[in-house]
Amino acid sequence: MEKLILRRVDQNNEEMILNFGPQHPSTHGVINFIVQTDGEVITRAVPDVGYLHRSLEKIGESTGWHGYMPYTDRIDYVAAMFPNEGYATAVERLTGIEVPRRAQYLRAISGELCRIASHLISVGTMAMDIGAFTPMLHGVRERETINDLIEALCGARLTYNYHRIGGVAFDLPEGWRDRTLAFLDHFDRFLVEFDRLITFNEIYIRRLANVAVIPGPMAVDYGLVGPNLRGSGVDWDVRRDLPYGAYSDFEFSIPVGQGMFGTVGDSFDRYFCRVREMGESSKIVRQALEKLPDGEIMAPKVQRNLKVEAGEALSRVESARGEMAFYVVADGTNKAYRIRARTGSFTAMGIIEPLSRGLMVADLVALIASLDVVAPEIDR
Amino acid sequence: MPTTVREYTGSIRDTVKSFWHGLSITLSYLVRRPITVQYPDRTTLPVRDMLPPRYRGFLEVDASICTGCQACERACPISCIQISLEKDPQNPKQRVVTQFDIDEAKCMFCGLCVEPCPTGSIQHTREFEGSQADLRNLVIRWSDPLHPFPVYKVDKAAEYLPRVELGTLVRAKLAARAWDAPGPRFLPPEPPAAPAAPAAGDATPAKP
Repeated sequence: MEKLILRRVDQNNEEMILNFGPQHPSTHGVINFIVQTDGEVITRAVPDVGYLHRSLEKIGESTGWHGYMPYTDRIDYVAAMFPNEGYATAVERLTGIEVPRRAQYLRAISGELCRIASHLISVGTMAMDIGAFTPMLHGVRERETINDLIEALCGARLTYNYHRIGGVAFDLPEGWRDRTLAFLDHFDRFLVEFDRLITFNEIYIRRLANVAVIPGPMAVDYGLVGPNLRGSGVDWDVRRDLPYGAYSDFEFSIPVGQGMFGTVGDSFDRYFCRVREMGESSKIVRQALEKLPDGEIMAPKVQRNLKVEAGEALSRVESARGEMAFYVVADGTNKAYRIRARTGSFTAMGIIEPLSRGLMVADLVALIASLDVVAPEIDR
Repeated sequence: MPTTVREYTGSIRDTVKSFWHGLSITLSYLVRRPITVQYPDRTTLPVRDMLPPRYRGFLEVDASICTGCQACERACPISCIQISLEKDPQNPKQRVVTQFDIDEAKCMFCGLCVEPCPTGSIQHTREFEGSQADLRNLVIRWSDPLHPFPVYKVDKAAEYLPRVELGTLVRAKLAARAWDAPGPRFLPPEPPAAPAAPAAGDATPAKP
């Protein structure tokens, strides 16, 4: 008898190392988590990234300044407008090209539509990881309309390549404005329905509240950005605090986590921030379509074989996954000397190890889903 | 964790209530019209006609208005366009395009080549169905090397450029090739040249 109890005790203390990923549906891409578990409780989860590394930063040194634009789509393919915008802004700062006002508005419109599409994927897959499949389909259905709109605008559904150095590639097509406004009216009703469908579902709330709490100072220390940071109660948004493009013209509020059903900074707060941000983006698109000025969409006389004087520039844009920074260095030739992209998903991976201590295995999925990481953005 | 019976039953009640909230929305979709369409034979129009005009599908080159300026080749970030120009042997003043190959398998449909084209000869079409058993069959040759086309001289007085209807040329090219056609044959690689005689003591280390 005594022997048996000893064995049971030994079994309880037995730690196991598991590979979670790289091909696992709830890791949101090709990421490997090396999970050290004691039964159902995780003692450590170490993310192992690099499976999707395509050396996109290095490619920028061999293509020309204009030719790198399609590659920035591949940095974050769920929200490809933002790397486009970040890179274009960085090169414009470096060369001193002035972007026309209309082009800045078009950038804001396309970017906010893209943010809605990205957040729909994010909240949908989060619900799916938790175990509710229907919200995913509802989200993808709405995203389909946005994809159609963006396809009519720039000709592609995923890798847009819409921005150019000095402006945007296309003006609004005929009838696009009315279609977008009709969609936004529908979308505001959809958000109410979506809240009833999943956000305020009792099971969903209990599953997410008080899970994987990130306090505000810790989120700042680990360099979290975007909705992950705002979910922890830190009120920081590049669009409002360091306005770029046309964003200083719009009125919108920044949703911040308030600990509605638990502690500030839990998984539910991060989720709820995204849901609220979709409503704010819808407001911005409406304002931008209303105020849209007339004029050119491209800066005059941008050289086709752009030669940039030696120098460096940094641009910061608020991507769907948080602050995205592009740092470009020029050495006076027609190619970049160095291009560096700073993305939100990569820093979000760093916080998984300290947070995972003591989590249940199923809660790790909730944590990864609530951080909204996209694998190509981690590795680039 | 519920500690009392009242909390326990309350939790069950809340769960059932929110179940009903969610499922009532799901059930309401039972009587709505579905938004999905069976692809490709249940659509009202062929899919390529339902796409917006700016859609970036296969590239098409109208050889009759190509000026041979090679701006598209220079703009392409991945060099999937290959253009060669030669002088016409009969008429030395006339240049001809002997090679205009676009590797549609390599193309990433970014649209950067379309923008610098002075005449609008190279354009994206709304064609997107071009599956081939052999990847090399997706290299579309817009110039026959045996019958190269002369470069187009832009008539400045003309009000518009005579371009054939977008999509007809690439559709004809794709239709002319069966999906399981064998790929082009290439000459076998040349055998490596015999290495030059190694310098004495270079290749073989001196044995003690």
